[in-house]
Amino acid sequence: MSAVATQEDAPVFTGKTLERLQQILTRYPTKQAALLPALWLVQEDRGWISDRNMAEVGEVLGLTPAYVKGVVTFYTMYHQHPVGSNFVQVCTTSPCNICGAEDVVKALLAHTGAKELGATSPDGKWTVIEVECLGACGFATPVLVNDEFVESVSPEKVPELVKRYK
Amino acid sequence: MPDELINLTIDDVPVSVPKGTLVIEAAKQAGVLVPHYCYHPGLPVAGVCRMCLVEVEKAPKLQIACATTVTEAMVVRTQSEQAKQGRMGVLELLLINHPLDCPICDQAGECELQDFVFQEGRPGTRYTEYSKRFNPVEDFGPDVLYVPNRCILCTRCVRFMEDVAGEPVINVSERGDRAYIGIHPNARLDHPWAGNVVDLCPVGSLLSKDFLHKARAWELDKTASICTGCSQGCNVTLDTRDNVVVRVRPRPNLEVNRYFICDHGRLNYRWMNRGDRIEAPLVRRHATDWDEALSRAATVLRGAGGKAVALVSPRASTEALFLARRLLARFEWTGAFQVVMGEEAPLAGVPNLALRAERAPNARGAELLGYSRDYAAALATSRTAAVVLVLDEPDAAIETAGTLLYLGTVLPERSHGAEVVLPIANVAEEDGTYVNRDGRVQRYFQAKPAPGMARPAWWVLSELLAQVDGGEHYASAAEAFNALAGATDAFHGLSYAGLGGAGQAVAAKAGVTA
Amino acid sequence: MGYPHKPHPKETVVLSKSFGDPDARTYKGWAKRGGYEAWKQAQTMAPAAITEVVKESGLRGRGGAGFPTGLKWSFMPKEKKKPHYLCVNADESEPGTFKDREIMRWTPHALLEGTLIAMRAIQAEVGYIYIRGEFTEPYAIMEQALAEATKAGRLGDHKIHLHRGAGAYICGEETAMMNSIEGKRGNPRIKPPFPAAFGVFGMPTTINNVETLAAVPHILRQGAAWYKAMSLSNPKSTGTKLFSVCGHVRLPGNYEVTMGFPLKDLLHELCGGMRPGRTLKACIPGGSSVPILDREESESCLLDYEGCVEKGTMLGSGGVIVFDDSADMVYQIMRLARFYAHESCAQCTQCREGTAWTTKILERILAGQGKMADLDLLLDLSDNMTGKTICVLSDSCAAPVVSGIKKFRTEFEDYIAGRKQPVMVA
Repeated sequence: MSAVATQEDAPVFTGKTLERLQQILTRYPTKQAALLPALWLVQEDRGWISDRNMAEVGEVLGLTPAYVKGVVTFYTMYHQHPVGSNFVQVCTTSPCNICGAEDVVKALLAHTGAKELGATSPDGKWTVIEVECLGACGFATPVLVNDEFVESVSPEKVPELVKRYK
Repeated sequence: MPDELINLTIDDVPVSVPKGTLVIEAAKQAGVLVPHYCYHPGLPVAGVCRMCLVEVEKAPKLQIACATTVTEAMVVRTQSEQAKQGRMGVLELLLINHPLDCPICDQAGECELQDFVFQEGRPGTRYTEYSKRFNPVEDFGPDVLYVPNRCILCTRCVRFMEDVAGEPVINVSERGDRAYIGIHPNARLDHPWAGNVVDLCPVGSLLSKDFLHKARAWELDKTASICTGCSQGCNVTLDTRDNVVVRVRPRPNLEVNRYFICDHGRLNYRWMNRGDRIEAPLVRRHATDWDEALSRAATVLRGAGGKAVALVSPRASTEALFLARRLLARFEWTGAFQVVMGEEAPLAGVPNLALRAERAPNARGAELLGYSRDYAAALATSRTAAVVLVLDEPDAAIETAGTLLYLGTVLPERSHGAEVVLPIANVAEEDGTYVNRDGRVQRYFQAKPAPGMARPAWWVLSELLAQVDGGEHYASAAEAFNALAGATDAFHGLSYAGLGGAGQAVAAKAGVTA
Repeated sequence: MGYPHKPHPKETVVLSKSFGDPDARTYKGWAKRGGYEAWKQAQTMAPAAITEVVKESGLRGRGGAGFPTGLKWSFMPKEKKKPHYLCVNADESEPGTFKDREIMRWTPHALLEGTLIAMRAIQAEVGYIYIRGEFTEPYAIMEQALAEATKAGRLGDHKIHLHRGAGAYICGEETAMMNSIEGKRGNPRIKPPFPAAFGVFGMPTTINNVETLAAVPHILRQGAAWYKAMSLSNPKSTGTKLFSVCGHVRLPGNYEVTMGFPLKDLLHELCGGMRPGRTLKACIPGGSSVPILDREESESCLLDYEGCVEKGTMLGSGGVIVFDDSADMVYQIMRLARFYAHESCAQCTQCREGTAWTTKILERILAGQGKMADLDLLLDLSDNMTGKTICVLSDSCAAPVVSGIKKFRTEFEDYIAGRKQPVMVA
């Protein structure tokens, strides 16, 4: 087994990413306030936030790893383990629920091969989860695929949606 | 200028407190304990447990007493129907996920959840046929175990580590009823003051590994004492069970240690129970009774002249140190002590509180009574001294042409050449005082009997003094202290009654008289 | 306008004028539409004068609390001794509400302009716009607009930063938002101290909703009297409001009407009424945290702060959720309880444990294992969860439960008595 550090182990805050963080730090009077933006940078780069990443963020911002972990586990959009390359969030809170959101979820689970909520599909391409209100209730059912916000998804539109991201 | 006083009524009892006082503190003056969990006078206010709900006249909703400041003519009712219902609601909700672990939980008998549920809770739960949240026990560090199932998320531990210890190594993780106290996998709860979270935890969620399953709370006798770990002089409570010290916990003293003790003091008590004690007086290594041993020692002292050296432990009581010196007053006297040094470990959030480098409780007391730190010189003098008196210093490597009198709790190999060996009590077995590094004289009390025929050092020395000088015979440590206070400028005006449980400072200009 | 539909004649189009028009997003496009004129005007006024105008207009917070905006601004220290901050609440997460998203998507400069005017009024050099993490499109649009406005020199000495949330409804609570900006868990703070005295980074802070700030340029340009005059029912509720209508209506979308507008007309006229063959059963007028109205109450409710209170509910965020007779009220109330249980920050005992327990009881009822005593238990639990916590998330969970059991009790009893088949597994 090679002793070379894997991509996962390499620090995140180098080069361009470090520059971006330094720019972000100028927005706030404390280093701690850059924590949420810093975590977004990590997730952008690695796809998720590992314990090692949390320790690195802590070091860069002068926070303990436990502190960072407490923040990461509070906010649901930060992934604490790897997810499929297409991360799908479907709103099923009441306003969308009464417009058939749960059927959209079923359709997505079937068409992506993910089968179960939170599980990653065998080809590693899809993870589907239910989330709370996405703030587009008049455009039921809204679906977030990674950073793309798709409005008015119905079970009929699901196959086409899935195809678009293949 | 005195603080402006606010007058209010709590449960129909009028109280007068300084402006800015919290209702929960003002209530104590009215003799009312408002049930609470997250509030602690040594921690910043959180207001999260919602347990301390009270009714405040003119306020539309119930208020939490821990975050409400008193106002003039405020009327507070802690026992109104509404307030009691509110608190009962909190208790019921705390119990829905809290397991019925009392039979196997260390906290039973000193558990605030038990206490308040018994006082104000529902007789039965309505949370039936639902499962409780389950998380496995976690080992947080050297002495702390975390049982997540029992945690009520009061966050006292988080606030202690963040604001008082200055090392936020634990934090709340997750949200909602999935929340628990998390620690990063790389981190350990090994801060020198981390053990306090166990005391602060109102329930049996944070436990001391050292104390785990050792004793039941109601089996414990509790005695006020002073920590012997260093010169800070933290006030502690010794918990004993069947005359064995099983636990040390902090005792509040706002002038010294506030509500905390360090792990070094907390976990260093086993020596108080050691079995290899000297249990009978020895004359030339033969066990005998006190009369013979004291008589022999007195004869030696009366017959000797010239130089005398007292090698004392900075763990000896102030009374004993004083009497040892007085006993050798007729001689050309040298007194010395040595102190084991260690690394200092401050508690960041409390001014002037640290595990001190000097690992002894009474170095200052010894200094005030004329003992020197030049131990090497004293050892050198010992060689040609007529009498060498060792007071509980087992490491004393004495070579002397004169007579060695050894007062100690244990008898090391090196002191087997002593003429007379007199067994004494340790800190847990006698009453006495220590002077901490800030010059505070503090009392400690007897928690368990001394083994065998061992007696407090002040008694032994007082008896010797009486035999040698034909004078004062002290019947109690208090009397010994009075003599000390009368003869030493620094202690002028102090007495056991005045010292009480919180201690007092020595006089500003501390001189020393014989 | 009834975006995404064509504007309805009964709407009063002010904030939503350019909804659906991509040109209005650009700096040039906005300037063409009279953009930044109000800001220019504000820059000639003293901060206190701006506050007076807004006070006079009767503008009230559009995020849900309805607190008079001018009054809130006046709480900031008049004498500036420390840095002042403005936080813009773009965390829009109240179920049923989707108006701030549209304001940011279509008229980002309106928000920037309102933000700048507010910053001047409260003497803040720095403003943070807290945008929920899921609003990726509004974030990108705001970023672009901010860059354009900065380049055009509009900001002057003021600094506006976007701060992206990461998935927490509770961060819409003003004190939780401040904690989130500071890089902490989004826990609400106990009050006092209040934000105007001790806010973000411990400095005097004002927090305003997106829709509130979007109205400010209009008020400055057209005058407080103009805004005040827009009031159909109660003079304490003035101006226009964007109502996000969703659920069982033919034309869901955002509709802008004058305060005091009848809910009945909003539902049956502007939104095209119920779906074919369906009748109105229930309506929540102000986002899921306010009590549910039954059909009769909905059809007699006037949409302003006082009118809703009269009906035993609240205007809240104006997120109108419509349930027709096909809706399973018990299931939907369970789903709402589950929402609150997911979003509870975990500080207060009543909320942390109560929201979860409430959800479990409702799930059990839906699984056919409920008991009549469960309804009393739910009501008692809701009572314990109301008025006793740091913030009102706990109360918000209780609202649909209490109003639901009160007005749709038979639906609950049907499940309990076995007259309705279980729809969940225990």
